[in-house]
Amino acid sequence: MASKPKIAFYWAASCGGCEISVTELGMGLVDLSEKVDIVFWPAAMDFKYDDVRLMDDKEIDICFFNGAIRNSENEEIAHLLRRKSKTMVAFGSCSHLGGIPGLANMYDIESLCQRVFDTSPSLDDSRGVRPQAVTKMPEGEITLPTLYDHVKFLAEVVDVEYYMPGCPPVVDQIRAVFESILKGELPPIGAVIGADAKSVCDVCPREKGEPGFRITEFKRPHEVQLDPNKCFLTQGVICCGPATRAGCGIPCLTGNMPCRGCYGPADGIVDQGAKMASVIGALIDTDDPEKLGKILDTIVDPAGTFYRFGLAHSIMSKMKYE
Amino acid sequence: MSHTTTVTTFADEVKAIPGGENLELCYACGTCVSKCMIQQKVEPDYNPRRLLRMVMMGMREEAFQSPTTWMCSECDLCYPACPQEIHISKVIGAVKKLAVEAGYTSPLIPVAVDETLCSGCGICVMVCPYQAPSLFEKEVDGKTDRFSQVDPNKCMGCGTCVAACPLGAISREGVSNAEIALQISDMEKAPPVLTVFICDWSLRVDDDLTILENYPEELVNVVHIPCTGRIDPQHALMALDSGIQGVLVCGCKPGECHFKRGNHVATCKMSLLDTMLGQMALPQDNVRFIKIGTQDRGRIKHEIEDMLDTLGVEKEAA
Repeated sequence: MASKPKIAFYWAASCGGCEISVTELGMGLVDLSEKVDIVFWPAAMDFKYDDVRLMDDKEIDICFFNGAIRNSENEEIAHLLRRKSKTMVAFGSCSHLGGIPGLANMYDIESLCQRVFDTSPSLDDSRGVRPQAVTKMPEGEITLPTLYDHVKFLAEVVDVEYYMPGCPPVVDQIRAVFESILKGELPPIGAVIGADAKSVCDVCPREKGEPGFRITEFKRPHEVQLDPNKCFLTQGVICCGPATRAGCGIPCLTGNMPCRGCYGPADGIVDQGAKMASVIGALIDTDDPEKLGKILDTIVDPAGTFYRFGLAHSIMSKMKYE
Repeated sequence: MSHTTTVTTFADEVKAIPGGENLELCYACGTCVSKCMIQQKVEPDYNPRRLLRMVMMGMREEAFQSPTTWMCSECDLCYPACPQEIHISKVIGAVKKLAVEAGYTSPLIPVAVDETLCSGCGICVMVCPYQAPSLFEKEVDGKTDRFSQVDPNKCMGCGTCVAACPLGAISREGVSNAEIALQISDMEKAPPVLTVFICDWSLRVDDDLTILENYPEELVNVVHIPCTGRIDPQHALMALDSGIQGVLVCGCKPGECHFKRGNHVATCKMSLLDTMLGQMALPQDNVRFIKIGTQDRGRIKHEIEDMLDTLGVEKEAA
C-alpha cells in the first residue's frame, strides 16, 4: 500500500487567517488526517524547525506556505521548506501576491518603524526603544530576524509550483484542492489552483450598469446606503471585482460589501492595480472636464485600493526594489 | 377604400428623425469640411456639406454609400464653426439610422468580443461613447451566462472599451493587448529610451508625424493607438518594466477628441497612475500625458526633446 502523502503548513508574514480557514474543514480534518500525514504545522501542533531540518530533502509531498516574506526568518524557512518539499503551494494572498503586508512597500522602513514604535496613537512608551537584530546583554548576544526593506511574495525567493489565492482561501476551495491532491489530479505546474479563470463579475448576480453610466463622485461603503441588487460601481463605490479572479464564492458581495480584490488578478491581467485604474478611469463622468480633478480626488488611496492584496506583486513594486 | 398618399421625400425622412430637422438650414458654405479631421487625414471624399446636399436632392442610395455617413465620430469640431448652427453630426446620424434600417452596414472595423474571455461585467457597456456594446444572455453548459456583444454599425473603433475591458475580452485589430505589448517591447533589441503612445488624431499635420517617425528607434519608439481612450496604465508600466526610461502619452486637447471622451478618459487613467507612482515614491516626471491642440503644430518635437532632457539623454538631430 502506498504511504500517505506528507503535508506541511507554515505561516510567514501573515495574520494566520489562512490556517484558520483550514481548520474550518471541521470534522473533515479528521478524515483528512486519515488520508495524509501532517508532518509540520506549527500553528496547530507542537513542531519545531529542527523537525524539518532533520527530514530528508523532498520528504514532504506538499507544503502549503502562507504569509509574505517580511524578514530573514520568513525567507530562511521558505528555503528550508522548499528544499524539503516536492511541491510548494503559495497559499493565500500574502504568499501569492504579498497581501496586506505588501502595502508597506509604499513606505520606507524608517517611516514605518517611526509609526509603529514612536507615533502610533495607541502607544504609551516614551523610551523610544526599537527592536534590534542583535542586542548585547550581560549574558551574551540575543538576536531577532532582520526586517527587510520591503515585502516580498513567496515566488520571489523560492520556486513555487502552485498558487492558491484568497484572503483567506475559502474552505470549499481548500476541500476541493485536497480532493484533487488525493486523486493525483493537480494541473500543470505554475497554475493557479482553487479558483476560477474569469473575474468576480462573471459570477456576480448584481444588475449591471446602463449604457453610458458614469461616476460623478466616489463613495466609500460606509458613506452610502448600498442597494444589494445593483453593481457597486453604479453606486459610486469602488469594487475590485472586474479585475479580480473569481472562486471565493462571493461572500463579500453577498454581505453587501464590494470586492476588495483578494483573489488577485484574473487571467489576462498583468497588473491588477493598473488594470483597475484603466477600468475606473473610463467610468468617470467626463461631461464637464473641469470637474475631473474633483471626482478623482474622491478616490481615497488609489494604490491601496486597487492593489490592496497585490502591491508587492505589482510592476511598481518591482521597479522600486529591483 | 382609397388611401391618401403623401409623398415623403428622403429629406422629409431625415428631418423626421430627432437631430435631422435642421437639414435645410445648410446653404453649403463648406466651413464644416474645412474643420473636419476625417476629410484632412483619412478620406478626401469625406464631405458633410455634400452629404447634406445629397439628402436634399433625394440621392438616397448615394447618401447611404457615402463614407461621410459612416465615418463621422461626432467629434463636433464642425458644430461650433457652422454659421447656421446646424448640429451636423446629428443630421449625419439621422442619415446613418436610415441607412442601417435599409440594410447597409458600416465599412469601419469594429471591436470584437471573445466570449471565452468575457465575464459579462458590463464595463464596456458603460464606458462606450457610442453605446455600441450591450449585454445578452445565453445558455452555456445548461447555465445562463452573460456576455457582451458589439453593434458593428455603432462602433467607431476608438478602443476605449478595449482598454477598459478587464480581461482583454474585447480587442480591435492592430491594437489588441498582445499587439501593443509586442510593440512596446521587442525582446530582440535593447529597449529604446522613450516610448510614445500617439493618438492617430492628435498630430494634425504630416510634418509632425514625420518628426516623430524620424527619431532613431533606439531613442524613441512610437506606438500608434486610435485614441488615448485606448491607453491602459498597464502598458505604461510594462514599458517602464522592460527598461524603457520614459513614457509619453500624446492625445488631443480638451474639446478636440475625435471620439468624444477618449482624451478625458485618458486624463483620468493617467492621473490615477500618476497618483499611484507618487504613493510608491517612484519618479512621476518620466510618465507624461500631453494634450496637443489643432493649433499646436510643431509642439510634439518640443515635448519629446523636453522629455529626453528630463531623462538625461543627449539630443540628437531629428
